[in-house]
Amino acid sequence: MLRVPLTRAICLTHSSRVLVTASARLQSNIPAKAPEKVEVFIDDQPVMVAPGTTVLQAAAQIGVEIPRFCYHERLAVAGNCRMCLVEVEKSPKPVAACAMPVMKGWRIKTNSEMTRKAREGVMEFLLANHPLDCPICDQGGECDLQDQAMVFGSDRSRFTDIDHAGKRAVEDKDIGPLVKTIMTRCIHCTRCIRFASEIAGVDDFGTTGRGNEMQVGTYVEKLFLTELSGNVIDLCPVGALTNKPYSFSARPWEVRKIDSIDVLDALGSNIVVSTRTGEVLRILPRENEDINEEWLSDKSRFACDGLKRQRLITPMLRKPNGELEAVEWETALIGVAQAVQNAGDKVAAVAGSLVDAEQLIAVKDLLNRLGSELLCTEQKFPTADGTSGTDFRSNYLLNSSIAACEEADLVLLVGTNPRYEAPLLNTRLRKGYVHKEQDIALIGPKVDLSYRYEHLGNSSSIVQDIASGKHPFAQRLKSAKRPLVIVGANALSRSDGKAFLAGLHSFANQLTPEDKNWKVWNVLQTNASQVAALDMGYKAGVEEIVAAGPKVLFLLGADGGAINKDNIPKDCFVVYLGHHGDNGAPLAHAILPGAAYTEKQATYVNTEGRAQQTLVAITPPGMARDDWKIIRALSEVIGTSLPYDNLDEIRDRLEDVAPHLVRYGRLEENNFYAQAAQLAKLQASSLQGDIDVKQRTLADFFMTDSISRASPTMAKCVQAVKKAQATA
Amino acid sequence: MAAKEPVKRVIQQVRPILSLDRDEARRRVLNLYKAWYRTIPFIVDKFDIPKSEEQCKSKLREMFLRHKEVSDVRVIDMLVIKGQMELKECTKQWKQKGHVMNYWQETVEPKPADFLSKFMSGQN
Amino acid sequence: MMAGMLRRLPKSVVSLKWYQNSVSAYSSDALKQKEAPIVDNSVILDDKEMKEREKLTHLVNLPKEKTLASINGVPEEHVKDRRVRIFIPAKNAMQSGTNNLNTWRIEFDNRERWENPLMGWSSSADPLSNMSGVVEFNTKEEAINHCEKNGWKWLVSSEERKKKERVKNYGVNFSWDKRTRVSTK
Repeated sequence: MLRVPLTRAICLTHSSRVLVTASARLQSNIPAKAPEKVEVFIDDQPVMVAPGTTVLQAAAQIGVEIPRFCYHERLAVAGNCRMCLVEVEKSPKPVAACAMPVMKGWRIKTNSEMTRKAREGVMEFLLANHPLDCPICDQGGECDLQDQAMVFGSDRSRFTDIDHAGKRAVEDKDIGPLVKTIMTRCIHCTRCIRFASEIAGVDDFGTTGRGNEMQVGTYVEKLFLTELSGNVIDLCPVGALTNKPYSFSARPWEVRKIDSIDVLDALGSNIVVSTRTGEVLRILPRENEDINEEWLSDKSRFACDGLKRQRLITPMLRKPNGELEAVEWETALIGVAQAVQNAGDKVAAVAGSLVDAEQLIAVKDLLNRLGSELLCTEQKFPTADGTSGTDFRSNYLLNSSIAACEEADLVLLVGTNPRYEAPLLNTRLRKGYVHKEQDIALIGPKVDLSYRYEHLGNSSSIVQDIASGKHPFAQRLKSAKRPLVIVGANALSRSDGKAFLAGLHSFANQLTPEDKNWKVWNVLQTNASQVAALDMGYKAGVEEIVAAGPKVLFLLGADGGAINKDNIPKDCFVVYLGHHGDNGAPLAHAILPGAAYTEKQATYVNTEGRAQQTLVAITPPGMARDDWKIIRALSEVIGTSLPYDNLDEIRDRLEDVAPHLVRYGRLEENNFYAQAAQLAKLQASSLQGDIDVKQRTLADFFMTDSISRASPTMAKCVQAVKKAQATA
Repeated sequence: MAAKEPVKRVIQQVRPILSLDRDEARRRVLNLYKAWYRTIPFIVDKFDIPKSEEQCKSKLREMFLRHKEVSDVRVIDMLVIKGQMELKECTKQWKQKGHVMNYWQETVEPKPADFLSKFMSGQN
Repeated sequence: MMAGMLRRLPKSVVSLKWYQNSVSAYSSDALKQKEAPIVDNSVILDDKEMKEREKLTHLVNLPKEKTLASINGVPEEHVKDRRVRIFIPAKNAMQSGTNNLNTWRIEFDNRERWENPLMGWSSSADPLSNMSGVVEFNTKEEAINHCEKNGWKWLVSSEERKKKERVKNYGVNFSWDKRTRVSTK
């Protein structure tokens, strides 16, 4: 295998390019050693599959779906439900399709007499101990057992209860405020057990007893302490684990399902919003291999009841006596417009964490027309003199993409706790750890990441040591094939953040991964709005606004506390534009009620730089309006109308500013890594003190933004976790 | 916007409804127009509507011009057929006064057209 | 587009056959016929009628821009302002079935709904809302054509993604040197 380094060496000289292509051609002539495919026949249809493919997967390739309960494509094979039994010609017994690899020339019959009898038998056993209470079961209508019993079960029962002993009954377990358990319904598929131990990394679930006495549970009563607990509800093929806040509220056929995007963390997980009568009932994950696979964090899933509480539903103006008074839109807009007109160019805006791209661009256009450039985001990012800061996109993105994080072989996490800042990125890392022998190290406070990692310490001098190559871990990164450096946005928002950026970024650029396109430098954002705002040229951090002392300040859902009573001038007219009466609204002199992410068709850019759009699931409550439309209307009242009237026009404007903002679902390539690092290197300052993260334990995870802070379910979670931690 | 590439279409040939080409369709439209035009005095008289013949004629013109962009022969034919039906309903007095007055839509409140009034009234 | 036409071809052949069969059945055994037979009445037509009939055997070219908006009677606000999303439905996270994920669907923008004061049911003023996600298309081009014909703005929002191949192995649960070894059962 001398060939590869040789061609690389040749590449360095220009004159021998011909040679290179020749040798490349030589290489391509050598047949690649692809594993030979084997042919099998599913219901007499031939299909070529890779060796080691299971019968179930081979059948799926030609669209034949074999019924299953325990098998799940994202979990390990268990093979214990026996529902996937199929006949293989010349085999005396049926085989379990989910666990059996195919052999060459096998003829598999998925609909033969033997197969059907096997399924019917399994179904009869399952139903013998499963309550027939579908009308009172929350899973009714989306229950695998229900559907498969209809299709594959027998049409009559041999279950007779001559002793009146009743069916097997199991005591329910209390595993927390999110997942309701009705353990009598459990069919022991062990999907929840496998999810907890493989994906969530919390080995709490297990089985006790054998045969009829077998029970799934936590053995001792215990909270299911993970940020991903909601996923076991989806995984459960029966109604044993159901959604507690959603229980008894709707049937799947009466709700409308709208595909949307989650904005409560910066990953932009794909979700399905279920609504009925102008009310969001529940949120489910939507499959997207590139982002959230099939999972969803508990905050994104259960915080939706916060959308109904603490909402701002009418425009309000502050009366001279200091009270906020509900007014009509006309009055409110005129009030704000007067303040803006009196302020001249001393107008500023701060974007919070849930702001969409349309609103950002409308506010930016309005303020620019008024002659102001004071547009900031709440969260800081090192931009100060000399650094390239937010000029290069690659500086502030998770460049390697979320999906690629599981491919890395060595990961360095700096000042971040991905488990709570981006739970689904953490599952990627855990996937890499479990399946691909990934090694992970952390600089920051020692936290539980659900997998083993090397804790390098929490002093920021370690960062400096690594950046200068003194630290032994720097050598390991240099020799790694696919190294990743993931820096938390909160670490970069420190006052010495630019030293983090400069040191680590130039160090990351020195690394030589095996693949030239592998991206080492990654920033894990925590706010859904941050990337879009920086893309548009918002400045990170509110220092400039504080220094300028504006006369009118727009808070665009800015509830993070960066702006407070003390750091703005007394006579500053504060306009709060947002959907929840949270930390920002009490400061305001005028409140303009906007729409939450389920109520507008809006663009969000996630931490890897992928633009996605939410869709309207319900209409905004009361007099609330689409956020960008409020700005558009205000601009007309002020007398400088913005040139867009509908969504298409404002998206055209977005396209003018940054074309990637409207290329939904696509990941844009970034470049200028070298230049960005070069500019960053000009800055050299020393790092001092310890690195801290905002979210250390599960209790810190649930309430981080105005929606989750308004959610009673999230409040219950915090309470339950605190109680569990106190007793543990 | 993600995938707004135009769709390539092949020319489709279909059976006609009435007319084979645009000239013929145009003739049918003109015939219908003339028929309506001549009926207007009777409509004004019989239905006792508070409209003058002139107003009716301008309405007629407006209704026809509304579809002036239509180029599909079959669609023109279909519109002519529909117009014929309307005409018959008028001449046979299957319509009543209210139905005829519906052409003016006087009771329909106009929807806000500009951005600001749409915004204030909560319509998108 | 071509694929769509080819797919449609066998269907028309079938219907033609059915037509021929029914005609031949009439000639052979009139008693079994349930519908009125098709009688060739060309003999009794006058000249004008003959001309009309002959004309109908001709073909007219359709313009490239097709729109039904002027004849289908749909109110303007349901033509001009509607935005349609064209997509392949994603798998339901709650269930394992995948049978209904193979066709393209259209979905309209969501309009206001309210609780009906009479029964508490959900009311809407949107006649198209119940078409959302119900009408199926084999290809996205068909869906796009349908939208353009009706004058709706459309947006294709999902791409056909190939399923990731996964290696599934029962043995890794028990491997002694890998992290995939399971501790709990």
